[in-house]
Parts: sequence; structure tokens; C-alpha cells
Amino acid sequence: MEYVSPIDDSAAEPVPFAPRPRELGGRRVVLLDITKNRGSELLDRVEQHLRLYGAETFRLSKEIFSKPASSEVIERVAIHGDLAVEGLAD
Amino acid sequence: MASAAPRFTLERIDGDPLSLDALTAGGPVVLVFAHADCPTSALALRRLAGLGQGPAGVALACVAEETPEAASRLARRTGIRFPVLAEPAPFEVSRAYEIATVPTAVRIEPGVGVTGTAAGWDADAYERLLGASLPSEEPRRKPGCGARWTYEAAAGLDELEDMIERGWSDGLPVVPPTPERVETMLGSRDGAHSLGPVPPAHGVATLERLAACAVLAGCLPRYFPVVIAAAEAALDPGFNAHGIGVTTQPAGPILVVNGPVRDAIGLNSGMGALGPGARANMTIGRALRLLLTLTGGARPGGLDRSTLGHPGKLGMCVAENEEASPWEPLHVERGFARETSTVTVFAGDAPLSVSDHRSRTPEELAATLAWAAAGQWSPFWWPMDDTSLFVLCPEHAMLFGAAGWAKEQVRAAIFAAAQRPAGELRRGETTPLVQASADDALVRKWTQPELIEIVVAGGEAGRFSAVFGPCNGMQAEVVTREIQWST
Repeated sequence: MEYVSPIDDSAAEPVPFAPRPRELGGRRVVLLDITKNRGSELLDRVEQHLRLYGAETFRLSKEIFSKPASSEVIERVAIHGDLAVEGLAD
Repeated sequence: MASAAPRFTLERIDGDPLSLDALTAGGPVVLVFAHADCPTSALALRRLAGLGQGPAGVALACVAEETPEAASRLARRTGIRFPVLAEPAPFEVSRAYEIATVPTAVRIEPGVGVTGTAAGWDADAYERLLGASLPSEEPRRKPGCGARWTYEAAAGLDELEDMIERGWSDGLPVVPPTPERVETMLGSRDGAHSLGPVPPAHGVATLERLAACAVLAGCLPRYFPVVIAAAEAALDPGFNAHGIGVTTQPAGPILVVNGPVRDAIGLNSGMGALGPGARANMTIGRALRLLLTLTGGARPGGLDRSTLGHPGKLGMCVAENEEASPWEPLHVERGFARETSTVTVFAGDAPLSVSDHRSRTPEELAATLAWAAAGQWSPFWWPMDDTSLFVLCPEHAMLFGAAGWAKEQVRAAIFAAAQRPAGELRRGETTPLVQASADDALVRKWTQPELIEIVVAGGEAGRFSAVFGPCNGMQAEVVTREIQWST
């Protein structure tokens, strides 16, 4: 039986994870604050640990947690970081 | 114990036909039966793509229940480089191997037969069949989908089960979107016309796909102009369908329809206006939900991360009872002519019923409504900064109207009534404003009166209104679109 599909087969396929590095020394890590309540406190602690491992850290924020990051923010993450950590929820 | 492996020859997507004998000439083979409409098939093939041509000592091949063209697309989409054999209808090989589920991996030893199978995606079982390690990625297991020949066996007997198998449903039975039904829904409109990408997965909302959703939802063709306007409103970036689609909050879109189209298509704005009973109300809201879920990919438990959801997420379409209202209807308030028909979309929580059969003054009634809403979102979270939608029953609206109150006064009175000293609110989930305020400083439930929207709906008897709490923090704008329709 033939049907008209409501699904767009060309819609974004899941993107596989990038390879994970074995060492953090000398790596630039972007800590992205999505602006959810107390997310910055979590990132403060993560930042302390990353520095202990020799990583160089860089803080960025999304405009608002409930909307996708703007292309400018995504671009800055790519420019400033070898890696990124996002503080997701409160 | 081994079972017989039926012999076959199938067309290879990038070469000469390939037989089972050729596949097993050098040793065992693992066949992976799959098809393109099955997300688990795609997952399995993507994981197996890392094996390149296949592991050492074992041949690997995909039997795609597809035409050669569709099988080629599946191979490209999943990045596999091992042989892909196209098996279009009537799926004789799948039938011969009694493949009920895709993906299914079948290991065949030359001269012995079938020595093992694994249905669905099961990384451990696949590793055993292949004698090779796979990437240690989650998920390690996922149930599969019905094999195509099982659909065909069911076709004519149980089309409705077919729809559920394909995942074209919200959990309730749907109307199968045959080309004839979709064409009737579309009328003279161009099915290729796009309303834009639907978040969060960004499938494109062509009118044809929207019509398919409207058919699935059970809409009559005369409802379709309302569905189109609803989709346009929900896809306006200001509505933030992305945030609402993926949030852990329960909220979903709430539609309010105004204007002459209500009577023309049989929308119920009277008794039971928020409940079941009227096909137009139930199916228009559902069509939008199916667009967001199927075309947009916001499947509950998938990209839709809602912790609980609420029953209104199946679809919620309210028609304003303009005739029973003492005020301008919502669309006129929002700048449209009264004879125009519109859809307005809100992001809303489940409706909370507010009984008040005792108030005799507008001040008392406004306070009842305000204090009912004061517990919404979270009882100590003051103020909220997104829109609450009050649906006033005609008797409540008439009490305000008889006192000469304009809607603006009702809004201001509700806003003013819900205020509490910050000291009483410093418990549990509360706001930075409350934390920073002196104990006796009064805090309101909303940041501004404009976040209180009011419409009238419901039957003439009974004093029960309702309020839909907001999808707080989403900055979801209230969006209205004109409905392009004719009688």
C-alpha cells in the first residue's frame, strides 16, 4: 500500500561524536554557560579541575538557555576551543 | 543447532547480482536485513559502517528491503561500504528467512546453514555473530521495526497497525494518508510549497507533509486552512517551537481560533469547549502536534524530553465563544478585523479549572482567578515571565461585563490581586528577585499584566473557568496568523 509520508527523510541525521583526546594538557577548552540558573557554579568547579589537568579555559555564554545558540556563539566556540563543555541544566 | 539457509540471488546496488553461494564461498557470512523507514536499521548500519568491508574472516552484507535506488540511498545515508543487496517487493528472501523484524542479523556457515540470529540492534549479539568488536557507543540495544513483508501480509487487513509500526502516530490510531486522501486535503494547493523547517530536527514542512499530518489526525479537508495557519504561527521563530519541543517542561502549543471560520467548520466554542466531543477541535490541534512530532522529530522520549507531558499535548484547539463575550474577541484585540478568521498559538501547561459560584463582585472574581493561577509553574516562583492564558466561562465573563469592566480592567485586577511578601516566598524553588527582596516587599505573580491573556469559551451554565500556565522561561511569543479560507 502506498502512503504519503509525513517524515522528511533528508532531515538532519545524528552527527557522530568527535574523537575524544587522551590528554588535556595545552588544550583550549570552552566552557559554555547556557544561562540556566546556577549553571555558572557548575562550570566554575569544572574549570578548576580542567586547569589542574593543564587545560587552558575560555568562558562563553548563550543568549538564552531555551533557544538554540546563535551561529555567532557556535563560531566563537569553534574559534576559541579544541574542546567544549556545556553546563546543561539547573 | 543450525537451520537451513535458503539460497538466493539478489541485485547488488553497485555491481552484478550476488548469490548466497558466492557470499559464503570463502567462509561464513553475516546478512543484515534492513529497510530505510526504520531508525533502528539506520543505527545498526551506521555502527557496522566502522567495519569497512567487514571483519576479517567473515563476509558482511546488507539485504535492504528496498528498490535498488532506495537501497543505494540507505547505503549513502549510513556510510556502509560492504555489499548491499536490494530486495524489492514481494520480499521473497525476507519471507524465506522469516525475518519479522529489521534489522535482523543472520550468520550463515557454508555447508552448515543458519547458526545464529540477532533481532533489532543488540551490539553484544552482533559482536558474537561477527566475531569482531564494535565501537562502544550508546545505545547498545534498541528494538527494531516490522519487516516490510509483514506490512504487506497485514495490508488490507490492518492498515491501522501499519501506521503504528511506521511510527506515524501519537499513540492513538490514525487515518492512513493514502495519496488520494492527501490530494483531497491539499485541494488546489501546491504540495511542494514549504512553510519552512520544523524544529528540532528541521524536517521541512511542505504542504504535502502537513496534509499527510492532517489526514493522519482525522481532519476533514475543510479544516485544512486552519491547520495551515496554525503551522505558520507555530513555525514563527518568535514562538520558539524548538525550546517548547525539547524542554523537560510539560507544555505544548495551545491554539485559539477566532472569526467566522469557527461556525463554518463546526468548531465547538460552547459546552465542553476544552474537552472531547468535536472533531474539528480534536483533530486540528492533533494535526499540528503530528507535524511537530513526525516532520519536526519532537518524539516523546526522543528529542521531546518532557518529564511528564500533559494530555493536551495530543492537541489543544480552543474556539473563542465570541458571541458570549462582553469584549472584543482575541483577534480583534490583536489588530485583526472581526470578520477575519485567525489562529493564535500559545505555549501552555495543562489547564487548571477554577470554580467560583459565590463571587458577586468583579474584584472578588478577579482575586479567585488570580490566586488559582498563583500556584502555577511553581508555588513560590514569583514572578513568572511568560504568558498565562485564562479561558473565562460565559457566566464569569458576564459578571465582569455587567459591572462595566473592560478586559483591560480584568487583566489589571488579576495582576494586582496576586501579590505576596517576599518573606513568604523564600522557600523551595524561588526567583532571584524574591531572594534579593526585603521580607515585607510585595512581589507579584507576573512580571507585567500583558502576560495575562483572556478569552471566553464554554457553555452558558456553570461557573468554571480555566487557566493554562505558561511555558516559563521560553520567551514564547503569542503569535496570530490569518486563516486563508473561503466558504
